[in-house]
Amino acid sequence: MSTRDLVPILVFAAVAALLPVFVTANTWLNFAVFTLIICLAAQGWNILGGYGGQYSFGHAAFFGTAAYATAILQVRYGVNPYLGFGFGIAAAAVVGWIIGALSFRSGLRGSYFALVTLAFAEVFRVLANASEMTGGAAGILIRLDVRPENFQFASRATFYWIALALVVAALVVTRALERSRLGAQLVAVRENESAARALGVDALQVKLSAIALSAAITGAAGALYAQYFLYLDANIAYGTWISVEALLAPIIGGAGTVFGPVLGGIILHGLSEFTKSLVGRIPGVDLVIFGILLIVVVRFPPREIPGLIRMWRGRR
Amino acid sequence: MPTAFTASRRAVLLGAAATLAAPRIGGAQPAAIRLGILQPVTGALAQDGEYGRLGAELAIQEINATGGIRALGGAQIQMVFGDARSTPEGGTAEVERMNSEGVVAIVGGFASPIALAASQAASRYDLPYVVDVGVSDAIVTRGLRNTFRFGPGFGAVTGAALDNLVTLNNAAGRPARTVVVVHEDGLFGSGMARLMQQQLPQRGFEILETISHPTPARDMSNIALRIRALNPDLIIPSSYYAEFVLLSQTLQQRRIRPKGIYCVLNGAASNFRFVREFPQAANLVMDVNHWADPRKPRTAELRRQVEATNRFWLYNTPLNYSAVMLVADALERAGRADRNAVIEALAATDGRFTRHIMPYGPTRFVNGQNQSAQAVNTQVIDNDIKVIFPTDFADARPVFPWPSI
Repeated sequence: MSTRDLVPILVFAAVAALLPVFVTANTWLNFAVFTLIICLAAQGWNILGGYGGQYSFGHAAFFGTAAYATAILQVRYGVNPYLGFGFGIAAAAVVGWIIGALSFRSGLRGSYFALVTLAFAEVFRVLANASEMTGGAAGILIRLDVRPENFQFASRATFYWIALALVVAALVVTRALERSRLGAQLVAVRENESAARALGVDALQVKLSAIALSAAITGAAGALYAQYFLYLDANIAYGTWISVEALLAPIIGGAGTVFGPVLGGIILHGLSEFTKSLVGRIPGVDLVIFGILLIVVVRFPPREIPGLIRMWRGRR
Repeated sequence: MPTAFTASRRAVLLGAAATLAAPRIGGAQPAAIRLGILQPVTGALAQDGEYGRLGAELAIQEINATGGIRALGGAQIQMVFGDARSTPEGGTAEVERMNSEGVVAIVGGFASPIALAASQAASRYDLPYVVDVGVSDAIVTRGLRNTFRFGPGFGAVTGAALDNLVTLNNAAGRPARTVVVVHEDGLFGSGMARLMQQQLPQRGFEILETISHPTPARDMSNIALRIRALNPDLIIPSSYYAEFVLLSQTLQQRRIRPKGIYCVLNGAASNFRFVREFPQAANLVMDVNHWADPRKPRTAELRRQVEATNRFWLYNTPLNYSAVMLVADALERAGRADRNAVIEALAATDGRFTRHIMPYGPTRFVNGQNQSAQAVNTQVIDNDIKVIFPTDFADARPVFPWPSI
């Protein structure tokens, strides 16, 4: 990976880091933090789904595992939140590897793999809903104690910068992956797994590495969510909402590209906020307009935003 | 010699009169007070959120129509509504917006997760937050000075449920001795079942069996058959709306008729939708839940107002109506639309606050929890939901044990 590869990422980081200087309203900073959390989850999905072609419908399993690990370690065992955050990410990676080992070893691909990941997330949701360790249906609450050593900050801007740092780190990791041997092998597996195998690529190992990395990044989003909102229950942590958010953003923004998930996340959430402000106080209408816009974006091929830009450029 | 200021006597008198009148003119039109109403009106909890909003709207209309906040020169209350979208992050985002729009307090949340996250977000700005429904005990044990709950928490509801069951049974000559507990297998149902297993034997009841079911459940036939085989005096279900409707319908279809069905915080038994759509299955079912005080004249008026708009009378409406009245009362006593003053006034609320319509004793807050808040026992009688216990608030006598057909 050359310095040139990093220039767009650094430019994005610099511009985004300046946001809290100009936008001081907490309404917008809160929106920005949540959007970045979704972008991070989507970046995780993009490694496995975008580069590896393994479409997962169950990234909630990784998001929730890291979120619960972070919360449980703090609340039940008094572990330092930063350490808990790290453990959470590691736990998500391990869960990702296990799910990968079970499904890829069985030769599951395409829609079968998607369904299995969905099933895993649902199993986790049911277990978390029934287990005492996770607080069950009542959920788990991280004690509000706003101090930096508790990973809780009085200013939303601080959280914004932490979320941004993680998104930028994920961008760098994705760029590094793109330029690495593993990245090339992953793309080869996506394009034609049998051909890749014939060329000596250990497809199973490549996919396992990808799912572990993917789970770790999505897990970071889950741990960040837990630390930001300080409350989790089974439907938040393992609900289908996050699986859908994680896959929708890269699909809209451009799956298998470095900036696709971030672009998609910002567009999706920006659009949602825009439609909300457009229709004012009539609840639900913004969701209808948002849905229609989404259909319009997804309906017309090429199906993602970079594709549309390329198409417009081509016409001119 | 001309002077810089020349004024006739008339002009001076007019000026003086205008100066004297100015504060009165200003006082006649004080700035409106913005009050945040947070409800989930889209997503899974949309129905509850709509009924909560309705209660808040009716309270605000009434306050404004009866002279506004008198201590603030008759200031009108302006509602700033936020849709929590049935998620904690949706609630948090709306709290941020409401704060930027300068609300003096926020009422609502409905679900415990939303109330937990939203009250926490509000605490950053010392913004008073009054929870309408959320029963999680964690809401008022976090030490947040801005958070208040006018209604009862889970511990208070379940404690009252057990005590009232014993009183009800004893008053009827102890017809019920054996019990079957049916519960959904999440923590809500399992926790309730565990509590029943611990407490009921100490209170003289024998638990014949505890039967769990998943949510959603598509068929209750096996559970109904098991209940028939066990033939208990009492069935205690802890399930959500759809599952309880299914269970009660199956019991009715199979002509299984115990001496009573006694629910706790049930999703259906205190819901007029259930009573209207399944009147036979709902008949005589008892529940321990939030409910408005039937003896207060305002309750009946409010219910008429709600039903005139072709809507059901659900507990969300009176709870939100009362919570908004609580904030209005605090504003009257605070004498200024200042958040800290409102927090202090809310904490100091006492028995003189009578503008609510809940069946509670004199209001007294400890750590944000109203100590007099209580759930009541309701029973579906003649296609209506009646309060049967505590007797101070009851508008009907309990039909227990159920008469044989």
